[in-house]
Amino acid sequence: MSQFDRYLHAVITRAQREAREDSSPTVEAQHLLLAMSGEPDPVVEVLTSAGLDTAALRAALEREFVESLSAVGVASSAYDLPKPSPRRNHPGIGTSAKLALERGFSSSPRKKDLRPAHLLVGILSAEVGTVPRALTLAGVNRSDLLAQVRQTIGE
Amino acid sequence: MSEVPSDPADALAAVVALRRLADRLEDAAVEQAMRTGWSWPRVAEALGVTRQAVYKKHVHRLIVAGVKLRRRDG
Repeated sequence: MSQFDRYLHAVITRAQREAREDSSPTVEAQHLLLAMSGEPDPVVEVLTSAGLDTAALRAALEREFVESLSAVGVASSAYDLPKPSPRRNHPGIGTSAKLALERGFSSSPRKKDLRPAHLLVGILSAEVGTVPRALTLAGVNRSDLLAQVRQTIGE
Repeated sequence: MSEVPSDPADALAAVVALRRLADRLEDAAVEQAMRTGWSWPRVAEALGVTRQAVYKKHVHRLIVAGVKLRRRDG
């Protein structure tokens, strides 16, 4: 197993935990992003220097959820549910996560050169969906962030 | 009821958010029903899904959460 394979395995395992705690039947791109922000690797510094630590990401995602609901007249506070016991089954990889992984893998010309930064490129490449909306709400310019991550791959 | 949000991105994101809200609500509602002694067939019929589906989706987490469950066919 290469170093990147081990990293990927750790991130996906962590993302599955995020998905379960989120009552999500599948792992989505935002769960991968949350997982990456908590997995030790130098690429995390690009996120934290943009103000995106795990807590800030969670807050931005929650805000995206609340605001998207309110756009159709649903107040999420109307459903202030007790936190359900998390699902036990292994959530499968959802479409947005699959796209992020594919984009990440294809951002490296050679498979053996894959690094965590490529995975982050894959996640940040999505122009629509939950992650880019949450980033906008957090006041982060996604294109700038993407450029910074690409720079760390540079050499 | 207001109109569909004019920005397609907002309208589509609302669909995603509503699905997520429904998933959360389902987890909480099934747990509440089972804690109050509802049977699997009754919960399944109320949700409009098969009892196999609701059982498979929720039984493990409810056992781990220590919810006292009635027999599956009870």
